[in-house]
Amino acid sequence: MYPFEGLFSLLVLSLVLETQALTPTHHLTTTDVARLQTLLSQPFTDLKSAYYSVVGLSKLGISVADAATCRFIKSNLDPSSVESLFFAAEASQALPGCEIPVSNDTRDLLLATVSEDSTASQIHQSVSALSSLGLPLASQEVVSALKARISKEDNVLTIILALQTASRLSQQAELGEILEEIEDLAARLDDLGGVYLQFEEGLEATALFVSAAYALSDHVDMEPPLKEDQVIQLVNSIFSKKSWDSLSEAFSVASAAESLSNNRFHVPVIVSAQGPAAISHSQPFLRLQVTNVLCKPLSSASVLVESATATSSKSAILSQAPFTLRDGVFELNFMASQPASGYYQFSVAIAGDSRFVANHVELKVKVSTRVSINNMDLSVVDKDQSIGPKTTRVEYPAKAKASFMADSHQIFAMTFQLVDETTGVELTPHQTFVRLHNQKTGQEVVFVAEPDSKNLYKFELDTTERKTEFDSISGTYALYLMVGDATLENPILWNVADVVLKFLDEEAPSTIQAKTLYTPKPEIQHLFREPEKKPPTVVSNAFTALVLSPFLLLLILWFKLGANISNFTLSPSTVLFHIGHAAMLGLMYVYWTHLNMFQTLKYLAIIGSFTFLAGNRMLAQKAVKRLVDNLAAKLL
Amino acid sequence: MSNSVFSVISRFVEEYRSSTPNKLKMIDAYLLYILLTGVFQFLYCVLVGTFPFNSFLSGFISCVGSFILAVCLRIQINPQNKRDFLTVSPERAFADFLFAHTVLHLVVVNFVG
Repeated sequence: MYPFEGLFSLLVLSLVLETQALTPTHHLTTTDVARLQTLLSQPFTDLKSAYYSVVGLSKLGISVADAATCRFIKSNLDPSSVESLFFAAEASQALPGCEIPVSNDTRDLLLATVSEDSTASQIHQSVSALSSLGLPLASQEVVSALKARISKEDNVLTIILALQTASRLSQQAELGEILEEIEDLAARLDDLGGVYLQFEEGLEATALFVSAAYALSDHVDMEPPLKEDQVIQLVNSIFSKKSWDSLSEAFSVASAAESLSNNRFHVPVIVSAQGPAAISHSQPFLRLQVTNVLCKPLSSASVLVESATATSSKSAILSQAPFTLRDGVFELNFMASQPASGYYQFSVAIAGDSRFVANHVELKVKVSTRVSINNMDLSVVDKDQSIGPKTTRVEYPAKAKASFMADSHQIFAMTFQLVDETTGVELTPHQTFVRLHNQKTGQEVVFVAEPDSKNLYKFELDTTERKTEFDSISGTYALYLMVGDATLENPILWNVADVVLKFLDEEAPSTIQAKTLYTPKPEIQHLFREPEKKPPTVVSNAFTALVLSPFLLLLILWFKLGANISNFTLSPSTVLFHIGHAAMLGLMYVYWTHLNMFQTLKYLAIIGSFTFLAGNRMLAQKAVKRLVDNLAAKLL
Repeated sequence: MSNSVFSVISRFVEEYRSSTPNKLKMIDAYLLYILLTGVFQFLYCVLVGTFPFNSFLSGFISCVGSFILAVCLRIQINPQNKRDFLTVSPERAFADFLFAHTVLHLVVVNFVG
């Protein structure tokens, strides 16, 4: 019916993981099964692909009755290769009326392969070939060979092949130990998020495990040690991939699907709504497809609604209501219980076979309805209430003949009711908007209409209050009512009337400025730091002279005080000291003009130490001289 | 009141002229020179402006530092303070004065820019 049926049924099936068991989140739809079939129906190039195609299709329930295939198999058979014999034997068994000629050598070859030294795959192939060709084999020998093989190679694929082989042996053989391997192998599955259960070796290994485990369990008539949740998780893993890379992968998925549909213990049930799970008066039936993993309907099932509760009010509408089977689809007339519109939570149980797994399903069903607008009254009320309101009633979908005028002294008001078309119950949809559209400028303003306590919708427009929304642009506005909701089948867009609004202080309609976000902005000129204003040179020079003038004063004072250099002894240390000192002062000047601190310190160290030595000598001499003079003065 | 102040000042000046040794008077003249230099720098700053501020600071601090060092020298050389400075001879005081000035000038020249 709908192209997205598969996807939608998956969505509907996104279920509540409550305390109840899991239900499959991934399963094959009919299109997927068709795709699988197409892949398996490819023309085959060699015996191996012929095996996969023929046997795979037979698992899907499609028999290839083709003489050309049989000839192909016979011509490509290599009797000296065990693998070739295996492919041919299995394929011919799936084809009715196709017999492979068997010679004694062939039989001996196959029997000889059954030993501890062959690989598990060889043992599996020879045993399957022997069994398909109807040749006798010694089951106990096979069992011991398999056990020996398993103890040598403990990997997953070996054990799966052992399980498959064991399912072809006679029921009297001791298969107990091999049966226990199922449980060990199941423990090696990886649980991904509680949803998937698969081997790290991949999808093919998981699918082959499922078919081997159920084949062996059916053969010995003992339930496999897999819990219901595990089975569902395996279903999710195997059927989550919808396009397959290789023929062998497709074959493994097909055989897993077949074993999950037809074994004696666990049959996973896939429940999906046909189309969206939505009910309305035009479509009162809720239709469910109940199938196995191969998308074949389970006619023997009986489907029952255990409870149906409204999600908003949590009141139960239905309890223990059965679905009726019609044309392979289970249907229930839910509208007969006259539910109000909204969402309902259905709890559905599928009974009829003790093998059913995941047979409790939760569904969310939507009941939609049609809405109709009653008592749409438009009026223009004066603000000071001096003039009574003139109410105009408009019927949907007509438009009011006269347009309404509202200026700053008046309020435009609108009231209406939304009811269910069939039952007359009042509705409060999610979206009730009033849209005013100015045809000339293209401007539109949207308001929300709110219901009051009696579910009567009111909308009032005060031009002075709302003038910012309208940018104070007066003119004729077309008034639309928009009603919408998920549960409404007929959303409404209704041009109710034309309203002429007059605003005070109308500005000239400014054209809406296009956003100037992406146009080049004005260039910024970098302003370098302006050098500070210097005082005029005259002032600076004057003050420099002023500051240097006290030196003159000093010289004058010293002269007046009688400073002289009469005591200047021309001894070398004195001379050297004065030279050194002068050099230091010169260094200071050079430091100011040219050097940095490090260079200065370097030169200072040299000159300074020289000056220090000379000065020390000089001062010592002076000290001696002073002391001698003092002594002489004292004596005299 | 002003009379007594005036008489105190004139007495002080008289005492100074008579009893201060010449060496100290020379140093006092030097101190006056340094003081005036500093005052004139400050005057410039107040009148014209603080640009460039680092130069003003360096010059002013040079004056202040020199003044302090000269005062120290004067104290140490003064024979009346001999008892306080038994280990420091006048020559030693002068040598310290020169060394301190070297350091001061290094800093001042570094900062004057």
